[in-house]
Amino acid sequence: MDQNFAKRRRRELLTAAMLVAAAAVVPLLVKDAYYQNIMVLTLMYAALSQSWNILSGYCGQISLGHALYFGLGAYTTALLFTKFGVLPWFGMLGGGVISAVMAMALGYPCFRLRGHYFVIATIVIAETALLLVQNWDWAGAALGITIPMHGDNWLTFQFPRSKLPYFYFALVLAAVAWFVTWWLEDSKWGFWWRAVKDNPEAAESLGVVVFNSKMGAAAVSAFFVAVGGGFYAQFVSYIDPESVMGFQFSLKMALAAVLGGIGTLWGPLLGAAILIPISELTSSHIGGSGRGVDLIVYGSLIVLISLARPQGLVSLFSRKKAPAR
Amino acid sequence: MTISRRDVLLGGAAAAALAPIASRAEASEVVIGIIYPFSGASAQQGVDARKAYETALDVINGDHDFELPLAKGEGLPGLGGAKIRLVFADHQGDPQKGRGETERLITQDKVCAVIGTYHSAVAVTVSQVCERYQVPFLSADNSSPSLHRRGLKFYFRPAAHDEMFSAAMFDFFDAMKKKGTKIETLALFHEDTIFGTDSGNAQAKLAGERGYKIAADIKYRNNSPSLSAEVQQLKAANADVLMPSSYTTDGILLVKTMAELGYKPNAIVAQDAGFSEKALYDAVGDKLEGVISRGSFSLDLAAKRPMVGKINALFKERSGKDLNDLTSREFMGLIVMADAINRAKSTDGDKIREALVLTDIPGEQTIMPWKRVKFDEMGQNNDADPVLLQYVGGKFVTIFPPQAAIADAIWPMK
Amino acid sequence: MLTAETIIQSLASGLLMGLLYGLIAVGLALIFGLMDVVNFAHGEFLMIAMYATFFLFGFFALDPLLSAPLVAAALFVFGAVVYLLIVRFAVRAKANAGMVQIFSTFGLAIVMRGLAQFFFTPDYRSVTHSWLGGKTVSVAGIFLPQPQLMGAAVAIAAFGGLYFFINRTDFGRALEATREDAGAVALVGIDKNRVFALGWGLGAALVGLAGAIMAMFFYIYPDVGASFALISYVTVALGGFGSVFGAFAGGILVGLVEAVTALVLPPSLKSVGIYAVYLLVVFIRPRGLFGSM
Repeated sequence: MDQNFAKRRRRELLTAAMLVAAAAVVPLLVKDAYYQNIMVLTLMYAALSQSWNILSGYCGQISLGHALYFGLGAYTTALLFTKFGVLPWFGMLGGGVISAVMAMALGYPCFRLRGHYFVIATIVIAETALLLVQNWDWAGAALGITIPMHGDNWLTFQFPRSKLPYFYFALVLAAVAWFVTWWLEDSKWGFWWRAVKDNPEAAESLGVVVFNSKMGAAAVSAFFVAVGGGFYAQFVSYIDPESVMGFQFSLKMALAAVLGGIGTLWGPLLGAAILIPISELTSSHIGGSGRGVDLIVYGSLIVLISLARPQGLVSLFSRKKAPAR
Repeated sequence: MTISRRDVLLGGAAAAALAPIASRAEASEVVIGIIYPFSGASAQQGVDARKAYETALDVINGDHDFELPLAKGEGLPGLGGAKIRLVFADHQGDPQKGRGETERLITQDKVCAVIGTYHSAVAVTVSQVCERYQVPFLSADNSSPSLHRRGLKFYFRPAAHDEMFSAAMFDFFDAMKKKGTKIETLALFHEDTIFGTDSGNAQAKLAGERGYKIAADIKYRNNSPSLSAEVQQLKAANADVLMPSSYTTDGILLVKTMAELGYKPNAIVAQDAGFSEKALYDAVGDKLEGVISRGSFSLDLAAKRPMVGKINALFKERSGKDLNDLTSREFMGLIVMADAINRAKSTDGDKIREALVLTDIPGEQTIMPWKRVKFDEMGQNNDADPVLLQYVGGKFVTIFPPQAAIADAIWPMK
Repeated sequence: MLTAETIIQSLASGLLMGLLYGLIAVGLALIFGLMDVVNFAHGEFLMIAMYATFFLFGFFALDPLLSAPLVAAALFVFGAVVYLLIVRFAVRAKANAGMVQIFSTFGLAIVMRGLAQFFFTPDYRSVTHSWLGGKTVSVAGIFLPQPQLMGAAVAIAAFGGLYFFINRTDFGRALEATREDAGAVALVGIDKNRVFALGWGLGAALVGLAGAIMAMFFYIYPDVGASFALISYVTVALGGFGSVFGAFAGGILVGLVEAVTALVLPPSLKSVGIYAVYLLVVFIRPRGLFGSM
């Protein structure tokens, strides 16, 4: 059993390495900016969803307010760069740290809540933050922040036309988020989280510090989502409150994980790889009609997949049940 | 800054990408991208815009006897009679989507120009992408004043922006005051978006400069379930003029709530948007007799310039609505762009840009009350004189500026 | 400019709006109480009800007050069908039942918006002439709009009726019993699916009533539900999930807090007051005001 398990872990790592290598070649073959744009978004959502999955999938604390951390990352990066000239690399890290701290500060009161009370608290907190930024003049309020662009530059992470640098950054981010999940899955944290998710009372009696393990999951989860937000600010080079803190981000990162398989290692990646291209392509190719057909297609897919595959699409791939641990 | 080998390599890759996209369609067809919200909360504006562009397309591609650039004869004579084809893209009000869709229009559909966008926030990213690909962007109906001040070379706006619109309102107030009307206090009512914020800021600044007192400055959340508290405050302030900057939904709710709470302002002078939409007057027109809205367009012009009425009829055939402030600007947007492409005799971005810079269309050859279409070095047409319209007896009458007015303002409103 | 009149008017408006929020949200609370499912398409149910009212007015010149029972009946059928076609399968999911029901109803919401846009176009509609629309009662300088007064009356009647229904009728008892223990009721011959379908129908019918009232003073377009969705969830959670009375109290509280917040903060932040009160309440009482522990 143990050997099998170690073997499976190694195989997962190998699969991931091969996927990254294969993905790295794709934009060299598909040179069209539009498709590259979809690839960047897909990888970014894979990273976001993977991070969301740590708190909501593994630890079972369903958050529909992660747009807060996404927005915090985006705003920290953009504000530091435009107001103080701090390079976005530091901005993304700073945004990540601020978000992690914020996640713990908010987690302190919120983790006492259960079920839908917790879900609604996360939505409400993210909405409050959105309203506050929307009314915060120094941060541009509704006008948002335009990040000035001056040609290709790795220091300021700006590339007016090429998507390749963004693609590789998003690939690295997705890979790191995956790797952290992989690593945590088999650590004592992963064990705690599963225990907390399945049965908090029993976990407590087994000596799992339920509260602390939730806080840990929240911090890791928020950190990576915020780095993704900082990346997004650089990628789009213009942010405003609605476009980085809106509910749709919270929803999309959750949706990707749910469709792919919540609480699984590969689910978020698979979910993002299906959801994002579909949503982009349907809105591009049938959205122009103005008749709502893209919404009908997109919504029907969500209903069908979530009904037909409650465990997520990743279950299609598992030939046998994962070994019990 | 030292330049590493990697920088050089990437620079090379970028330079290759920057080379003009060679395979743009030749002569027989000119493809222009139109980017609007076709789904989501503002889908209605997108759908109306589509009809306006299709009307303009018909005027250009077909043979019409209008004193309008390109109306006579079919297609673009400068390109051997080439026809224009429009490609519509949906940005859903999301700046990121707008950016991605613009890239698609440019790289896949090979459009030689882009027109949009209704939402000012989306115009920011769309114009950035166009700048990077050196494809001209014409901002047909965005009114945020910050847009043309970002040093973009490929940005053009033939219509007025909110500072010009607001200035017209204050010119009107000054004129009314000279005639002895009491206008001392103003109540600003604007939504918390880029449009509302820009408009509110412009009005507050002008009020300060010209000595009007702001009795209330209320910023509200758009699409709120209720505006009772907001209207309550407007009522308490009881200013001489109420100045809303609201879209259709909030406009309808504002007017209904005002009636319900027994607030009847002396005058309403609106920053267009919802107050030029048929839906708003269908819903609450009976309570709006005498409301004044700024605008870019007036059907009154049809009396002086018969083609305005005919073009309106063409549009109405498609949409069931009269041209309004937005759709008229959209219509003109395509005309101005097509005129430049025709003179450029090319679909190359730089050549079209040069032609746009040289654009000089006299006002009589537009459907607008504008002096002319001529862009300044930032791409703004400063001769796009706005008008003020008053809603009287179920239709709009031009009341300001004097040279365009056909009636005196009714003040206070009924 | 805080005069006594302003404050009283604000509170009165807030109270009326709050009762309406309660009426909009009660269907959500009922369904949740019955089967622990939050309907994320609740706002879209409201949208459909408003369109139904609008079309009944447009084609048959039926006043919203008269069409309200028809709209409620139509929504009843619609709610039951949604249960039988979608929710029944969502709650059956063996894995991640919670997420599946959130996202299947959420997907439904998107489909409904798309369909509304497809069939009704994205144009903004409104019921232009109704018996009460635009009419208002003025008492000592305080204005009370008649549509909202009617809404408040309907809300109070609906809550009263619902209380009677749940506690005094056979079907109500069946609902309660199914809610307590779905397995046990099967033994006494109650078909769980039938009870759930009727529960969904009833929940939808209540939002149908709310939609008919709303149509008298609100604009109608495919995305209109979005404005009310979050506020309904907060209302229900504030009152305590599953508690019908809680939704009533939650609605009133939300309406009053919103009105008071707009007096002290910039109106664009008025929702912040609601959110803050929600957080404060659940931090102290993690199951809302009247939720069972």
